[in-house]
Amino acid sequence: MSTAPVQAVPALKDTKQPASARTRRRRGVNREGLEAGRRSTRTILWVLLAASLILYGFPFLYLLLTSFKTPIDTIAVPPTILPKEWTLDNYANALGRGGVLASFINSIQTAVISTLLSLVLAVPAAYGITRYKTASGRVFIMAALVTRMVPPVAIGIPLASMMASVGLSDTPIALSIAHTTISLPLSIWLMSSFFESVPKDLEEAATVDGCSRLGALWRVVIPVVSGGIAVTAIFAFLASWNEFLFALLMTAVRSQTTPVVIANFQTQFGLDWGSMTALAAIYSIPVILLTLLLQRKIVAGMTLGAVKG
Amino acid sequence: MRIPDRRFALYLMTPAALFLAVFVAYPLFRLVTDSFFKISPVVGGPRSFVGFDNYVAAFTSEAFMGAGWRTLAYTVMVVTLEFALGLGMALLFTTLGTKSQVWRTMFLYPLMIAPIVAGLLWKFLMIDNFGLLGTMLTQVGILQNPNQIGWLSNPDIVLFSVAIPDIWLTTSFMCLVLFAGLQNIPGDLIEAARLDGARAPSLLFRIILPLLRPVIAVALVVRGIDAARAFDTILIQTNGGPQSASETMSLLIYRTMIRFGDPGLASAMGTIYLLAMLAIALVAVATIWRPGKDT
Repeated sequence: MSTAPVQAVPALKDTKQPASARTRRRRGVNREGLEAGRRSTRTILWVLLAASLILYGFPFLYLLLTSFKTPIDTIAVPPTILPKEWTLDNYANALGRGGVLASFINSIQTAVISTLLSLVLAVPAAYGITRYKTASGRVFIMAALVTRMVPPVAIGIPLASMMASVGLSDTPIALSIAHTTISLPLSIWLMSSFFESVPKDLEEAATVDGCSRLGALWRVVIPVVSGGIAVTAIFAFLASWNEFLFALLMTAVRSQTTPVVIANFQTQFGLDWGSMTALAAIYSIPVILLTLLLQRKIVAGMTLGAVKG
Repeated sequence: MRIPDRRFALYLMTPAALFLAVFVAYPLFRLVTDSFFKISPVVGGPRSFVGFDNYVAAFTSEAFMGAGWRTLAYTVMVVTLEFALGLGMALLFTTLGTKSQVWRTMFLYPLMIAPIVAGLLWKFLMIDNFGLLGTMLTQVGILQNPNQIGWLSNPDIVLFSVAIPDIWLTTSFMCLVLFAGLQNIPGDLIEAARLDGARAPSLLFRIILPLLRPVIAVALVVRGIDAARAFDTILIQTNGGPQSASETMSLLIYRTMIRFGDPGLASAMGTIYLLAMLAIALVAVATIWRPGKDT
């Protein structure tokens, strides 16, 4: 794609003049062409940014605030933004309900198995595709991209009956295999981008020194792309953690994951909004925090896949 | 004894290829086969070959054609709004430069939230009587009373309402990808255009957007495919109602299979749906991307 030659230009500029760039910006001249120079313009843009961030962040904040309201307050007319009385009742109700804690364990199990499976399959495949550039590799990466288009609703039922015929129905293993059909193409795509950026000389040097190709991959290349593997793992984990349709089609009681339990709050027990918001908060906050901690790597991973194509 | 590189590469790809063959290609094969049978929903029940009957039934059913158009409308709406908002935010972050980095991260948080949670959250905001959205719009004077707009109960606007959580969840993705693309536009080019007297709109339409074309193509196709498969957010908000006004293809197939117990018909619908998605994605890539005309 066309981004590669374009990329070289700003990269050269950046390394040459980091110090002078700062002084130039102070005089009101743009270092990068698109950065706004005038102070008044910048102020307006900051206000605009603040407004959009508040609008964008508010829905989840409201979910958190609601989770601390009393059950009566939750459905008060008219609704209030802040709880009149702060309480943890909703959390106690949500966690005390049968099956909720078990669903957390199921969610973690399923996501971990699915992540490991994706990595074990995707890392060698992506390496084979990018390092040897064979015709079969090109066909394979296209096929992997096409599987991204397959709607889960179309293969969920056949998959469920396949699992049942080998005695795996309603188990975290069956569900994690289904989730891997979603995360594997994505993982192959991401890992290919990461392997692409490793210089070929690296493992050539290793093979000259007497390493086998597999040994070179394991001992030399994999440590270099470990950051990329971490990003891929996070994406595979999130894909499984948040998935709903396969979980709905393939689990009954034993292996139900939390998204299905959250959805059931609505139908099974009437409209219990308070407990629902509490459970949704407990389920979302760990992954949001994890992502904020690892944000730099994640942003790199997301853009690699799309921008490098 | 050293095996040739080509065969070594093949060995590396085999496990993943086998996995996709067994767990994606084979179920798809089953789907296509099932679409030619009339199948009893009872396990082990009778199945009889009916040729293209299920396809005829699908194309002549109002529900199927309706769901097709709704899915298309939904996808176009979601992707267009996300693109407009995402581009706006990406330009905002770019013009503010490195100092906005912390806020750029904060902007990503909805990507980590489960669609099912997002759907429930927005249902809670838009629900009649105790929904906050109507109340707030009334307080600022836009609406006369909080229930004036039946976000999820009015069939005319429900397709728009159910799209809101989807847009809220993934505008961040659009923004992220476009932002990365913007960083690759050389500053000199923009400055040269400015010196030539180009103003902001022509800068955007003549220089920035054409240079972003490949990035835009990828972002639109990736999001388009996801939006066309939307299921979680709609199921949880309206379950396709009222009067099927928000029933998209995924929901219709799900209901045909599970609720109405007609796996044969559902399989035919699924097959048509998959073929249509493939065709549209190919056309989209060919027209937006235009690989031959790349700069």
